Amino acid sequence: MEQVKRKNFFGKISFKDQRVLMIAVILLITVVVTIISPKFVDIRNIVAIFQQISVLGILTMAMALLLISGGIDLSIGNIMILSGVVTSKVIMGEGSVTLAITLGLLTGLVCGFLNGVIIAKSRCLPLIITLGTSQIFFGTSLMITGGQFMNFSRKFDFIGRTRIFGVFPVMLIFLIVMVAVAFILLNYTRFGRRIVAIGGNERNAYLSGINIDRYKIILYSISGVICAIASIVFVSRLDSITATAGSGYELRALTAAIIGGITFDGGRGTIGGAFIGVLLLGIINNAMNILSVWPYAQTAISGAIIVIAVILSNLDNIRKDRR
Amino acid sequence: MSFAYESKTPLVEMINISKSFPGVQALSDITFDLYKGEIHCLVGENGAGKSTLMKVLSGAHNPDGGQITINGDSYPALTPRLSQELGISIIYQENDLIPSMSVAENMFVGLEKTTRFGLLDRASTEKSAQEEVGKLGIVLDVRRKVENLSVSEQQYVKILKALVLKPQILLMDEPTSMFNVKDVGTVLALTQRIAKQGISIIYISHFLKEVVQIADRITVIRDGLVVNTYKNESRDMDLDVITMDMVGRSVDMFYQKEQHEVGEIVLCVRDLQLTKDSPKISFEVRSGEILGLAGMVGSGRTEIVRALTGADRYYAGIIEYKGKSLMLHSPEDSIQAGFAHITEDRQQLGLMLGQSILENMTIVGLGRKIKNFFLNIKRHQPLVEPLIETLDIKTPSLFQEVQNLSGGNQQKVVLGKWLFAESDFYVFDEPTRGIDVNSKAEFYRLMSMLTKEGKSIIMVSSDMPELISMSDRVLVVRKGEIAGEIPHDEINEERIIKSALGM
Repeated sequence: MEQVKRKNFFGKISFKDQRVLMIAVILLITVVVTIISPKFVDIRNIVAIFQQISVLGILTMAMALLLISGGIDLSIGNIMILSGVVTSKVIMGEGSVTLAITLGLLTGLVCGFLNGVIIAKSRCLPLIITLGTSQIFFGTSLMITGGQFMNFSRKFDFIGRTRIFGVFPVMLIFLIVMVAVAFILLNYTRFGRRIVAIGGNERNAYLSGINIDRYKIILYSISGVICAIASIVFVSRLDSITATAGSGYELRALTAAIIGGITFDGGRGTIGGAFIGVLLLGIINNAMNILSVWPYAQTAISGAIIVIAVILSNLDNIRKDRR
Repeated sequence: MSFAYESKTPLVEMINISKSFPGVQALSDITFDLYKGEIHCLVGENGAGKSTLMKVLSGAHNPDGGQITINGDSYPALTPRLSQELGISIIYQENDLIPSMSVAENMFVGLEKTTRFGLLDRASTEKSAQEEVGKLGIVLDVRRKVENLSVSEQQYVKILKALVLKPQILLMDEPTSMFNVKDVGTVLALTQRIAKQGISIIYISHFLKEVVQIADRITVIRDGLVVNTYKNESRDMDLDVITMDMVGRSVDMFYQKEQHEVGEIVLCVRDLQLTKDSPKISFEVRSGEILGLAGMVGSGRTEIVRALTGADRYYAGIIEYKGKSLMLHSPEDSIQAGFAHITEDRQQLGLMLGQSILENMTIVGLGRKIKNFFLNIKRHQPLVEPLIETLDIKTPSLFQEVQNLSGGNQQKVVLGKWLFAESDFYVFDEPTRGIDVNSKAEFYRLMSMLTKEGKSIIMVSSDMPELISMSDRVLVVRKGEIAGEIPHDEINEERIIKSALGM
């Protein structure tokens, strides 16, 4: 009985700890950086941070949902780029913005659906499958663009530059809406509860009457659409796109989700946690710019901070194993 | 070969070995010995404690009390490593071979032979392997890959692998359970040949006819106690005597179930074939009835119920439930028809261990009972609370993760999710495995409650008192077939055991 109680206690704390700890790290960084350079907490800088994380934040929502369901998608970066490339092709061909966005979203849906069908029906590891499909999507983008920059001739500017009340950029609404959608989907729909069940114990979920294949296909499709939405925000900031622009996004989204307490095993983790993970990555990058850290050192430093943060949040598990 | 037991000291002596698991006394004061070159057979029902005793000897379990003496040295407990150093080698029921490797490579995993340059010496490995094969008098090319071998050939490889360690003592746990009649003869001959080399063998089997052919001594254990040890010098031990030792329990081990009338036939299974070559199975279940499925582990009981619950696809047959013909392709179909499946292995198959009681209990009902797309899980709390009371689940909160609950409470959560989904036909596979006595009684009370409401139960069980006290009727399964049907007033241990063993 003694042991059961103790395990219980640790279990509870560690689950909350992850998020609490990350918020503590965020606050610590904020305080330290603000002391050195007060403009860090300037409202414009804060908005800038959110702008910088908007694309990654949306992509992380897709990654978070998939990880919680026990899956993973390493093609999200390239789905985003392929959707963007398709959108730009329509724009450059003098098509309307509505048509361009529709086709872009459709591209994301098709890519995600493709991932889902292959993963559900072939029963291969999603990690391997999406590594492969990622190359297919990337290759398709290369073929469409011919390796060139694709221009949007400022047609998406309104999303990137319009600011409500002069400070609040429209693109942030995309981020907020997507976080809210992911949160509601996961916590307040039957679909979401079943996704968690599949991630928690797939065989149990199957024996509980859940059509696993169908749910996987739908979830990967949703993930594809989320990537397409991310691409709208992406191109509205840059006004152009290249096939190679998406590299690294999938791993950063994965990092953010893991920092936020989502595990590879599936079945646990929160959207709030994933968002905190994204925020931490964004703040680290922004802080280093504010502090004028030597640019070539920035990557290594942010890597080190991630490793330390994850180790800290895992201290409980380390103790448990040694016992 | 006969033994002059009195003149020798035993190679292994286990004295007063006890071992308990939470809620179960697996072994109590077992005393067991083994002489050099002897074949000592251990028999007993499923769960009698045979495998636990062997695991104490192989170092996998630490006994709570007692002493183990091997070669004159005494130990309170062994570790796997120490056990191996003392020359004890075990052949498990489960397959532990590496399919992509050859027979020779498998035999020498961990003992790889190398050339003087430190590279693998394939030629010498294969030569030694072939020698071992020759010694046993079987024909087997050691260069073949294990994945291309038949089941019985793989069994030989397992034995060969154990022999490479040059054991003094060989533990064989159900070595013939997967064999057809012809190959069983080979294994028995092989076992005797190994014993002639001076290796002592502990042989566990529930095939009594085999046991009598090879055993020098036979020890019967039941409920963790040694019932009797017989010498079998002339290989003519009376099987009936052994069977009587395996059964025969005191009355207080049985749960007193309230009896009530059973109703109409609700489930009718006709000519069910699990695979193309498997035998046809037919049976029916009445409303308010508990149908017990008895049989040895591996007899095919679980497979039959897995077909009914849609967990596995079946090949052919008609399943009629309440007058409607069912096509069961998936658990979804079966649940739609009102079936509940309380699986054999609750941790692997029945629960999401890291999630709350509430989430676990509502998972099936989410489809059947709660049809809204949007939902708020906290609102399900009042729906689940009455069930917690009915089931008497001991927990501070519905948000407790189920991995923190005791086995008995976990099993109640599994039942709870089907009650929540308002299932009306319940399939229980080993409903009380690994839960303590009190929880067992609770569980039996719940099962009686269900049948009183007119719900039907199929119960697969290896727990003899459970089968006898709970079943209204027992079907005995042997080798995938219904070997016998025992009506209520004729259910007793002897009938079940004899039918299960095919005697």
